[in-house]
Amino acid sequence: PAYRQGPSAHTESSPSRDLYGQPSYQQCPQPFPNLSQLSAALGGLSGVPELEVEALRPVNLLQERNLLPPRPLEAPEPNLSPDLKKVNCSPQTFRCTLSSIPHTQALLNKARLPLGLLLHPFRDLQQLPVITSNTIVRCRSCRTYINPFVTFLDQRRWKCNLCYRVNDVPDEFMYNPVTRSYGEPHKRPEVQNATVEFIASSDYMLRPPQPAVYLFVLDVSHNAVEAGYLKYFCESLLENLDKLPGDTRTRVGFLTFDSTIHFYNLQEGLSQPQMLVVSDIDDIFIPSHDSLMVNLKESKELVKDLLTSLPRMFSQSRETHSALGPALQAAFKLMVPTGGRVSVFQTQLPTRGAGTLQSREDPNQRSSKKGVQHLGPATDFYKKLALDCSGQQIGVDLFLLSSQYADLASLACMSKYSAGSIFYYPSFHCIHNPAELEKFQKDLERYLTRKIGFEAVMRIRCTKGLSIHTFHGNFFVRSTDLLSLANVNPDSAFAVQMSIDDSLADSSLACFQAALLYTSSKGKRRIRVHTLCLPVVNQLSEVYAGADVQAITCLLANMAIDRSISSSLLDARDALVNAVVDLVSAYKSNVSNLQQSGLVLPAAMRLFPLYILALLKQKALRTGTSTRLDERVFAMCEFKTQPLQQLTRMVHPDLYRLDNMSDQGALHLNDTVVPQPHLVHLSAERLSRDGAFLMDCGNVFYLWIGKCCNEMFIRDVLGCPNYASVPPNMSHIPELETHLSERVRAFLDWLQDNRAFSSSIHVVKDDASAKATFFQNLVEDRSDSASSYYEFLQHIQLQMAK
Amino acid sequence: MATYQEFIQQNEDRDGVRFSWNFWPSSRLEATRLVVPISCLFTPLKERPDLPPVQYEPVLCSRANCKAVLNPLCQVDFRAKIWACNFCFQRNPFPPSYAGISEVNQPAELMPQFSTIEYIVQRGPPAPLIFLYVVDTCLEEEDLQALKESLQMSLSLLPPNALVGLITFGRMVQVHELSCEGIAKSYVFRGTKDLSSKQIQEMLGLTKPGAPGQQGRPMAPQDAAASCRFLQPVHKVDMNLTDLLGELQRDPWPVPQGKRPLRSTGVALSVAVGLLEGAFPNTGARVMLFVGGPPTQGPGMVVGDELKTPIRSWHDIQKDNARHLKKATKYYEALANRSAANGHSIDIYACALDQTGLLEMKCLSNLTGGHIVMGDSFNTSLFKQTFQRVFSKDYNGDFRMAFGGILEVKTSRELKVCGTIGPCVSLNSKGSCVSENEMGVGGTNQWKVCSLNPSTTLGIYFEVVNQHNAPIPQGGRGAIQFVTQYQHSNTQRRIRVTTIARNWADAQTQIQHIESSFDQEAAAVLMARLGVFRAESEEGPDVLRWLDRQLIRLCQKFGQFNKDDPTSFKLSESLSLYPQFMFHLRRSPFLQVFNNSPDESSYYRHHFVRQDLTQSLIMVQPILYSYSFYGPPEPVLLDSSSILPDRILLMDTFFQLVIYHGETIAQWRKAGYQEMAEYENFKQLLQAPLDDAQEILQTRFPMPRYIDTEHGGSQARFLLSKVNPSQTHNNLYGWGQETGAPILTDDVSLQVFMDHLKKLAVSSSA
Ligand SMILES: [Zn+2]
Ligand SMILES: [Zn+2]
Repeated sequence: PAYRQGPSAHTESSPSRDLYGQPSYQQCPQPFPNLSQLSAALGGLSGVPELEVEALRPVNLLQERNLLPPRPLEAPEPNLSPDLKKVNCSPQTFRCTLSSIPHTQALLNKARLPLGLLLHPFRDLQQLPVITSNTIVRCRSCRTYINPFVTFLDQRRWKCNLCYRVNDVPDEFMYNPVTRSYGEPHKRPEVQNATVEFIASSDYMLRPPQPAVYLFVLDVSHNAVEAGYLKYFCESLLENLDKLPGDTRTRVGFLTFDSTIHFYNLQEGLSQPQMLVVSDIDDIFIPSHDSLMVNLKESKELVKDLLTSLPRMFSQSRETHSALGPALQAAFKLMVPTGGRVSVFQTQLPTRGAGTLQSREDPNQRSSKKGVQHLGPATDFYKKLALDCSGQQIGVDLFLLSSQYADLASLACMSKYSAGSIFYYPSFHCIHNPAELEKFQKDLERYLTRKIGFEAVMRIRCTKGLSIHTFHGNFFVRSTDLLSLANVNPDSAFAVQMSIDDSLADSSLACFQAALLYTSSKGKRRIRVHTLCLPVVNQLSEVYAGADVQAITCLLANMAIDRSISSSLLDARDALVNAVVDLVSAYKSNVSNLQQSGLVLPAAMRLFPLYILALLKQKALRTGTSTRLDERVFAMCEFKTQPLQQLTRMVHPDLYRLDNMSDQGALHLNDTVVPQPHLVHLSAERLSRDGAFLMDCGNVFYLWIGKCCNEMFIRDVLGCPNYASVPPNMSHIPELETHLSERVRAFLDWLQDNRAFSSSIHVVKDDASAKATFFQNLVEDRSDSASSYYEFLQHIQLQMAK
Repeated sequence: MATYQEFIQQNEDRDGVRFSWNFWPSSRLEATRLVVPISCLFTPLKERPDLPPVQYEPVLCSRANCKAVLNPLCQVDFRAKIWACNFCFQRNPFPPSYAGISEVNQPAELMPQFSTIEYIVQRGPPAPLIFLYVVDTCLEEEDLQALKESLQMSLSLLPPNALVGLITFGRMVQVHELSCEGIAKSYVFRGTKDLSSKQIQEMLGLTKPGAPGQQGRPMAPQDAAASCRFLQPVHKVDMNLTDLLGELQRDPWPVPQGKRPLRSTGVALSVAVGLLEGAFPNTGARVMLFVGGPPTQGPGMVVGDELKTPIRSWHDIQKDNARHLKKATKYYEALANRSAANGHSIDIYACALDQTGLLEMKCLSNLTGGHIVMGDSFNTSLFKQTFQRVFSKDYNGDFRMAFGGILEVKTSRELKVCGTIGPCVSLNSKGSCVSENEMGVGGTNQWKVCSLNPSTTLGIYFEVVNQHNAPIPQGGRGAIQFVTQYQHSNTQRRIRVTTIARNWADAQTQIQHIESSFDQEAAAVLMARLGVFRAESEEGPDVLRWLDRQLIRLCQKFGQFNKDDPTSFKLSESLSLYPQFMFHLRRSPFLQVFNNSPDESSYYRHHFVRQDLTQSLIMVQPILYSYSFYGPPEPVLLDSSSILPDRILLMDTFFQLVIYHGETIAQWRKAGYQEMAEYENFKQLLQAPLDDAQEILQTRFPMPRYIDTEHGGSQARFLLSKVNPSQTHNNLYGWGQETGAPILTDDVSLQVFMDHLKKLAVSSSA
């Protein structure tokens, strides 16, 4: 009906900024209640801050068409005193679905929103206060680390913000090493920073800290040789050998496998590496003593020799079988004495020995609407192995480079339960797919050189009354609040579902503390502590005002993934739809007394139905659209481990028009002008054939070029004379010295900047087959199998009527 | 007519054969009464520089179950071009190629001087020689280094086109790939796991598909051979292999205090055998096992790794206290039989101060014709030179080794073959000439001798089947044909045929003929082989009793005496030395085990049942030479009376060369007279036995242990234990002050032995 709009309307809006430089959410010319009406709606709340007022503005979704803010959404700021705000933990590290915590479970239930944390505990930081002191000050009762949100009763006593016990301030704490002054315990860095890192004493060690140990397990079967990854792996490792995190104790080892397992003796002093083939895959054993995992420094020449020889050694291989399971058993045995990281590169279904898998995918069912089978593992072999690994402080990372079904649902378990990472290159071929090769190379570089923590545990503590009931991510749960992380990397995130056991009414603040104890690659025991402080509220409106729609969507996505495996995909999808229905109903019955028809949500949650729809159309959860099982499973894995920003872009990509960018509102970073184009709704009707649009899907960019795109853009940015001459499969933006090229590249670089893994870019022509992927991401539009946004809203409305 | 001595010598030189009897009793009954069976020592590849091989196929008798080879004993009708088989009397036409023969144009095989003839035949493509080194790495550094050098050196001795392979083992077993470049590659097997041949071949990738799409199909042997990366021509890989050997490290697994290293000899051999079985079945190959200690884990384990549990002794074995003995022996026997079936021989080079499990492993070499060499260390000239000698060459520059031998024995109708004793296995070929009565390895007339050299000698035993009242067989002669097919070291296939005949004699009327045809040396060795063969399965005393009984019966049969009068007892010249051989045999390490370890006994027996007559006799009755100022060196009695203060003795026991300086000589030597110009003659006297010893050391295989000792020296026991104790502490004082050295022994002396023998021989109650 009314939900249509001309394609160029959005470009007329201009950014407006509030006093704090935050983008405002005010953009649309839609009618909305005036402030006095709003106050009434809020039940006479007074002293509500301006932002909160905006957050609570009821939005009628059926009428309001331009929901997107001009710039990507930021986390809501908790309603705290400026002092606390100033020291609070960064939302990039620690985020709660509700930035105002309801004081009781009853209130939480009423809100129909999930309570949970999203955590990115080991992310790369520009600045990190590192504290070396004899005493790490912790609450004697609940072992909470002292943090900015404790209360100093006097100079000698502090009160724990989690359990409220009063503790003594140790003498050492009276001296502040930063200011070099005495008697100001509250100025210690521990108390000034919500994120700190302690150098731990031997009390924090069960054994001497392990060295950095890296084992690479490489598929060298015919299939792997065909795909051609090995050469690039070896090149990349050779290039980054000196950048592997570690010190003089760093050890490395290599295993290759096809139908047999190959070990490499790299003992210092040998004139060349020695390859030891073990064919007895049913009863795998370590063929040599003490020479297979070697000191990198001492054996560097041999390692280099090996990496130089490896690709050639198997170039004639005709061995088609894959004994991955036995290779992993061998890897486990090699790593048991030290723990460390195992990096597995696999290119096919394992077909020999333990852990053998069969193809479970029926290609005819890829676009079924009836749900999807085989999302769970076919065998518990990989899980058991991962648990064994976890117990020995061994993390297993998986690189799957397979164009055929490889049963990632089963294979992924090796990483899921050992705190590993999973990488997937579904159509990897070193010649036929240069874009994927480039991504693999870039990922590998990041992977090899990124920070790593070993033999880690992470404990999450929270204010008395709150409790954790489910974790999401890759780890092994050791106890209710303790995760075992054999390895911890800077790119993995975690989610935590929480409940409120006891009323929090006594306190105005709730705190969460994540403490990550790990061994650094230099063999130091360290504890990274993050503390998040949030207000406790007793009004539903306040809960809504503080709702973090992105965090909520991410947490719900995690829950949906679990559900699709434990129950069914259809169940999980229903639950997501119900989350929207419930929220709208709850809001309608409890907060909004406007008696408006249509679908009304507070502004803070106005993107919720759109996000949920996007989620339902995402690879992991979609039905009706042809989706290869492994790609679906991989998307599911990503949901469980990617940090929030990345996830949000994967669910709901950011779309920008690039051909008419202006410098208005641009950022000026060191001599570079970074334009800030506005977000465009993900709908074909917002595209125009004379434009060029950039879609940021998190791990990939699509640059869509309209058929009538102005030739200056094509020439100045793509370096092609005209539209027709833009090559298919173009996967990079040339460095041209034109104004437009500079701007486009500056913007792209800026988008990449905070991303761990660089995203590949695909130039998509309107007539190219590749555009299918691009259009699939236009989630507001109807597709063959899924409804449009407007239809979705109608569906919600229908459900509410029931 | 020549003397029997000459006749015997001639036969040995020409045909490599020594018979116990050179006249054969014409009936079964008479033959059994002779005690010593009709039997021979046969050296199939006796070196015959004077015998050029012929380059054509032998002509065979056309009767299917005969197939004897045309030979000088056959009747030939030159006109009709027909020959009659002397074994089955079948009349055979000559093949077309023999159209031109006549009385004056005879083919070589019909000429009497070619009773032994060698044919070069075409049988498939020439097979390269194969050498597979199986090397223990649980050695002391110094030993390993020495072994590595020997192995590296050996590469230069191999023919360039020979295939060579390397397996190393300790706790694990590694099969090294030799064709790869840039990176050394090996396949590793767990040392504790018994794998089937098929599993081993699979694990080595020998049954891999040749091309994609043909998965899992075993390769044809030819393909397997072509793609066998583990055995490569020496000329292609010698650099590579030299480096590989150079980098060979001691087994890397730590050995805790109080433990033996874990040594997986059993699995290593199983892998070696499995590899060759898969890649080169029925091709001559030599597995060369080098060990520095006993197998301590896995199948074939001989002793556990706890040092506090010593390796089994004869004492343990007698008390049935050797835990691993039976199982290990069975394991190695199975391996040996598999290996033999494929024509692969296994050598064992065992160098260690303690036992290495030769008792259990001996069958590997005994059944496959392989060598066993035993030494204290790889870093000794004994090992180094012996090992080099394995690769010695003959007058043609060919290796003195042949492979894949098959010996077939055919007999004329009055005889049957009972069995052989030597480094061979039965091929279970039950022809008409096979006797029911087994002696040695019997029940067949074909044996496989996987590896042969010019001195490899088999004892072959026969029986006469002619009944007592049947007439003396037609033609008056019995005939035996030995057909030896083998792969020459130059890769040719060859067949050597020896056909011999001996006259039949009526034992009633011609007993003197028979008696004087007795070859007492051959008989002694042949009886000794029977005794040693029995000793492998029977208790020592039973064997001695059996030997004694045979000796007494022989003396009763041929001795001249008055009943119950020992002093009247006499033996004719042809038998006179025989009792003395038996006396020394009884005392020899082949039958007396308690002064030796089980490994040593196995080692001695191994060599005894394969050497030729001369060497065997030395083993039974060592040779003793005496050096003095009173004349040239002379052989002296192996008797304590020969040990005199002013003599130097050189004793050759085959395994040891002992130079013993008498008391006076030793004192002079200590005083350094040999350094003084005026005692040049003393210097020469000291030098003479050294020179003679050197000559023996140069040629003997295995190189003997060389012992230089003197009166009172601790090593003098080697001499004292061999000589006849004619003067012992038992009789010394009784006989007053005599010359010679008293021997501390409870052994009976030859004198006592002979007295006793005479008494029993003449006894009417015996
Ligand atoms: Zn506390
Ligand atoms: Zn015949």
